[in-house]
Amino acid sequence: MPAVVEPSDEVKAETKPKSGWFFNAYTQLLLSILLSTAAQLCLKKGSAAVPEIWLGVEGLRSGWVWLGILAMVTSLFSWLYGLKYIPLNIAFNLAGLVQVLVPLGAWLLLGERIGLTRTCGIVLVLAGVYTIARPLMQVEEKL
Amino acid sequence: MTALAFTFVLIAEICAVVGQVFFKHAMGGEKAAMAWKLTLGITAMAVNFFLWTGLLSKFPLSFLYPFDGLNRVVMMFAASIFLKEKMTLNLWVGVGLICAGVLLVSRS
Repeated sequence: MPAVVEPSDEVKAETKPKSGWFFNAYTQLLLSILLSTAAQLCLKKGSAAVPEIWLGVEGLRSGWVWLGILAMVTSLFSWLYGLKYIPLNIAFNLAGLVQVLVPLGAWLLLGERIGLTRTCGIVLVLAGVYTIARPLMQVEEKL
Repeated sequence: MTALAFTFVLIAEICAVVGQVFFKHAMGGEKAAMAWKLTLGITAMAVNFFLWTGLLSKFPLSFLYPFDGLNRVVMMFAASIFLKEKMTLNLWVGVGLICAGVLLVSRS
């Protein structure tokens, strides 16, 4: 465990987000949420290339899958950047939005039909995600 | 959803949590241990990824994605088993809601 050193002014200046809307931590967090939604949509499109086996390795032949991987990785970087400046509980609550955006995207862009039962299920999962966000964030820090 | 498919979902979610935890420890921990932690983290994430892509080829995205909420349930149980964290009422309510939601989705 390294000793806690009071950061110098120089270091402090570096930990402030760069100016400009693009470097705003909330912009990056929103970008991260949109990108992880996009990643799921791309993976779904690409997974059509997966034959009737359980491991999706064959999916790597599809450009959509690679686009999905790219979106996932970019999303991770935006997320980590956002987390530097935004309290974890706000970030975790915002991340719950993905649970809404993914089915919404699947409906609008992939033409999936979402019935009443599934909608109710999604709402319940979302309610659970929000109920658990605060204690989960505390646990996540310890794990 | 068949029992086999659900087992794959669970393994994928467990791998996701394992991957997240190893990544975190690789970044924050000692430099010497970074390599094997990163390797384990990437392996777990890769298993998660290929299982998930395989599952996506069989189910609609709007059907499968809510199961990703189980990630949180796995995390809670991991914390209570390995860190002896107390399961508060709040946590049980959240876990219950997610499981009920997933159950509903699985019947849609």
